[in-house]
Amino acid sequence: MITLIKISWRNIWRNRTRSLVIMIAIVLGLMGGVFSAGMRLGIETQQFKETVETQISHIQLHHPEFIANPEARFRINDGFSIAEQIMNKPWVEVANPRTVFDGMVASANMNAGVRIKGIDPHMEALTTGLDELLEDGTYFEQEGRLPSVIIGQRLARELKAETGSRIILTFQDIHGEIISSSFRVEGVYSIASPSFEERTVFVRASELNEIIGDQEAVTEIALLINNLDDYQQRTAELKELFPDAEVRNWADMAPSLHYSLEFLNQNLAWMLSIIILGVSFGLLNTILMSVLERVNELGVLMAIGMKRVKVFSMVVLETTLLSIVGGSFGLLASFFMVKLLNINGIDMAGAGGAGLEEFGYSSIVFLEVPPNFYFDVGVLVVIFAILASIYPAWKAIRLSPAQAVRQE
Amino acid sequence: MMKTVIKTTNLEKVYNSSVAPVRAVNDVNLEFYEGEFTAIVGPSGSGKTTFLNLIGGLDKPTGGEVTIDGTDISKMKESQLFDFRLRNIGFVFQSYNLIPVLTAKENVSFIMLLQKQPKDQMEKRAQEMLEQVGLSDKINSRPNQLSGGQQQRVAVARALASKPKFVLADEPTANLDTESAFNLLDIMSRLNQEENITLIFSTHDQRVIERAKRVITLVDGAVSKDEKFER
Ligand SMILES: Nc1ncnc2c1ncn2[C@@H]1O[C@H](COP(=O)(O)OP(=O)(O)OP(=O)(O)O)[C@@H](O)[C@H]1O
Ligand SMILES: [Mg+2]
Repeated sequence: MITLIKISWRNIWRNRTRSLVIMIAIVLGLMGGVFSAGMRLGIETQQFKETVETQISHIQLHHPEFIANPEARFRINDGFSIAEQIMNKPWVEVANPRTVFDGMVASANMNAGVRIKGIDPHMEALTTGLDELLEDGTYFEQEGRLPSVIIGQRLARELKAETGSRIILTFQDIHGEIISSSFRVEGVYSIASPSFEERTVFVRASELNEIIGDQEAVTEIALLINNLDDYQQRTAELKELFPDAEVRNWADMAPSLHYSLEFLNQNLAWMLSIIILGVSFGLLNTILMSVLERVNELGVLMAIGMKRVKVFSMVVLETTLLSIVGGSFGLLASFFMVKLLNINGIDMAGAGGAGLEEFGYSSIVFLEVPPNFYFDVGVLVVIFAILASIYPAWKAIRLSPAQAVRQE
Repeated sequence: MMKTVIKTTNLEKVYNSSVAPVRAVNDVNLEFYEGEFTAIVGPSGSGKTTFLNLIGGLDKPTGGEVTIDGTDISKMKESQLFDFRLRNIGFVFQSYNLIPVLTAKENVSFIMLLQKQPKDQMEKRAQEMLEQVGLSDKINSRPNQLSGGQQQRVAVARALASKPKFVLADEPTANLDTESAFNLLDIMSRLNQEENITLIFSTHDQRVIERAKRVITLVDGAVSKDEKFER
């Protein structure tokens, strides 16, 4: 066995150029595969983070009427206790009750329609990490004469407001009466999605509820679950538990994101298959050439008594070793490629990435490659290499020794 | 009474080529005795290679029998034949004999390795055989560092190292210059005597025929002459 490995190994280096060329093909193939997979996962994670985690959460509960008419009177009855009930489920990471409705914002300069989100600062930080999105000011630390509001950077620009400015929010109370109230801008946040940034303001739920005259008001419960793969099952579970509420998951709320992620996944599977098949055929060709060149030599080996299985294994072993060497270098190169590209991220602005920004995604993409992906791809390459070597190996032993020795 | 190593009875090989069937070996009845040094001669296409392939178990006869040490090998299965060749027959071909990526010594050890002989015994024997063929200074050379004659000598050393019942050499000198050809035949003839190994080689090279003690002439696949010489 050791001799067989030794012979196979040395056989690889008999035609250095050919072996190097095929190894380079493996290396480039792997880099291409890792790049496209890393890109896919990177975009996926990023879009998911920016849309789902910071904006809509995994699952939301509302009053069924609320979706069409986001007003305070379409509240979730017993909202706080429902939120607590959900929070107690072992598969829930956080269940965040909010008072959300639409209203108007006005400064001395202009006014605009906005969605007002009354939140518990601590819960909101756990759910969307709003506290970390602040560009300016503080996160609900001030207890001034006026209640605090945190607004998006774009809105701040439009209103010509900054931290410390006074703005007026106008909305309906629970009886449908119009109320205007002054707020002090305590912080300015920034987020990839321009429309969200323009249209969403955050205030303390406790203060908002006092203004609308309903301390128990909850119009939205946003939750994150521990294992995102279960989202459909968990949605169904919640629907059953709370038949009066409208339960929607991220795929319901952002169908285009959902489909684009699916599409990316399928694209990737095709791309990886094509890369692997291409490399495999290259490998098959190389090994076949090297076998056909050696018909006489292999014939002599079989004539002197080397069994067919051994000759077969020798050819398979050659390919295996070749793919292990090529694969190792390929994974190493891929690893450093990912590390290098991720220092600054990949700016997609030139490659139609500016379009991405308009859809609310940042144009800088970071490759994301889970460590086990390298391992999986490495194993896959070796498996396909072995498959590719079967035909040439069979070719090598197909002839009888007498035929093989005679062959010119 | 000399011991019979190989016996052929009504041996026949017909190739079914597309034009017309070729009777490459035609009703050959021969016996080879232990310690003989035999040359198979004849014009090109007379069936020398085919005959050697049949008695070497590389090819199946279409008629008749090959008996080696009393065993009829024409009835053996493929896999049995592989093993039989490994244990009993040494081969030297015209070319491509050696594994290019192994050294002379590793090549000589190769058959013993396939036979799973103990390592130290194997090494000793390989060394000894390389000395016998005059290549003790080339032990660690790869085939491409050796001349054609030296490569054939390594092949002879390999064929004999495992002490087979007999050694078949199909035109071992075909690619060699006169001096190397004589040199190889001298070595073969000496080893035939010293190791008492039965040796059969084919050639159409008149220069080396006279080294043989027995010369069998084939014409159109049949034996036309079978002569013995005292040398
Ligand atoms: N596989 C085959 N199919 C058909 N005919 C064959 C085959 N192999 C050999 N022959 C024919 O059998 C005959 C004997 O061939 P063989 O090679 O045994 O002769 P040879 O004496 O060894 O010739 P040479 O001196 O050229 O090596 C020739 O006529 C050859 O054409
Ligand atoms: Mg011949």
